[in-house]
Amino acid sequence: MEGKVIVITSGKGGVGKTTATASIGAALALEGNRVAVVDMDIGLRNLDVVMGLENRIVFNVVDAAKGKCQVKQAAIKDRRIDNLYLIPASQSDNKNALNPESMVKLSEKLRAEFDFILMDCPAGIEQGFENAVAGADEAVVVCTPEVSAVRDADRIIGLLYARSITPKLIINRIVPRMVDSGDMLSHEDVVDVLSIDLIGLVEMDEQVVASTNTGLPLVKDGSSKAGQAFRRIAQRLNGQPDLPLEIPTGQTRFWNKIGQKLGLRK
Amino acid sequence: MGNGFLQRLFGKESSKDVAKRRLKFALVYDQLEVSNTTLTNLQQDIVDVISKYFEIDKTSLKLDIQRSGDMSALVFNTPILSARRTRYRNQH
Repeated sequence: MEGKVIVITSGKGGVGKTTATASIGAALALEGNRVAVVDMDIGLRNLDVVMGLENRIVFNVVDAAKGKCQVKQAAIKDRRIDNLYLIPASQSDNKNALNPESMVKLSEKLRAEFDFILMDCPAGIEQGFENAVAGADEAVVVCTPEVSAVRDADRIIGLLYARSITPKLIINRIVPRMVDSGDMLSHEDVVDVLSIDLIGLVEMDEQVVASTNTGLPLVKDGSSKAGQAFRRIAQRLNGQPDLPLEIPTGQTRFWNKIGQKLGLRK
Repeated sequence: MGNGFLQRLFGKESSKDVAKRRLKFALVYDQLEVSNTTLTNLQQDIVDVISKYFEIDKTSLKLDIQRSGDMSALVFNTPILSARRTRYRNQH
């Protein structure tokens, strides 16, 4: 069966695209899928360090797209998670090293080898964005509950619609305490403004910083709320679109469960 | 929670409500932003159509998008020199 190319994008930088790509990719692989995560941020690569694979780069996505190597040669195998591969960005080229046509061709090759291909899109709406979305079948937009991130997400959603892609939304770094006190946009507010479907809500989680420090996969940490949220997003992408959304509450899962039992929380 | 409750009790607008309102405005404004080339092309087309019926002063016309509150309007301002007696024939 042919794989699916999903672009992870946001418009604004620093909202968690790379963490989302690494985590969803790892979670999809843990469910038994063959997964390639592709760093499309040519010249500013980072997905490799987030995944702890920075020491093993030989070929990169530009080499693969230009036919200087086989797709399989550019794909670095993750040693901790079976079936997870990284195709890193080139650090010496710039965004013009690729073009949409070459990415469409590369995507075709990737679909033949993998079940899921996640494109980690660079920030911005220029050439890098064009390249990252060129071969995509689906899109996931990441935004944080901030005015600037939501505005940029709106712009990106418009550009994706123009390419006949209907994206799904991840709201990242929700701080439940601030939502409760009225100092942070709630997920309902963000959905109301952007009017697109959610695919996941991710709570602000300090473990993301720790996991990025060490390059260890966040989703393997059962105590990380963000990690577990990304696992549920992966399940929704992987044939369970109706898995109910869990709304971050700021409490531990234990208290959540008790609350659910007593009918205090949904 | 206590903070939000008190704010609601005293009818004070929370910062997220301000954020949401500003966002909605910003998005409407963003969508109405038209590039200069589009405006110039539009102006040329309007001039061509109006010139079929009126003689207008092409140097002192003005095309603008005006916004007030949540309304926006396309305003085209031109002095009419005279009406054309006979309707322009399509030359092509």
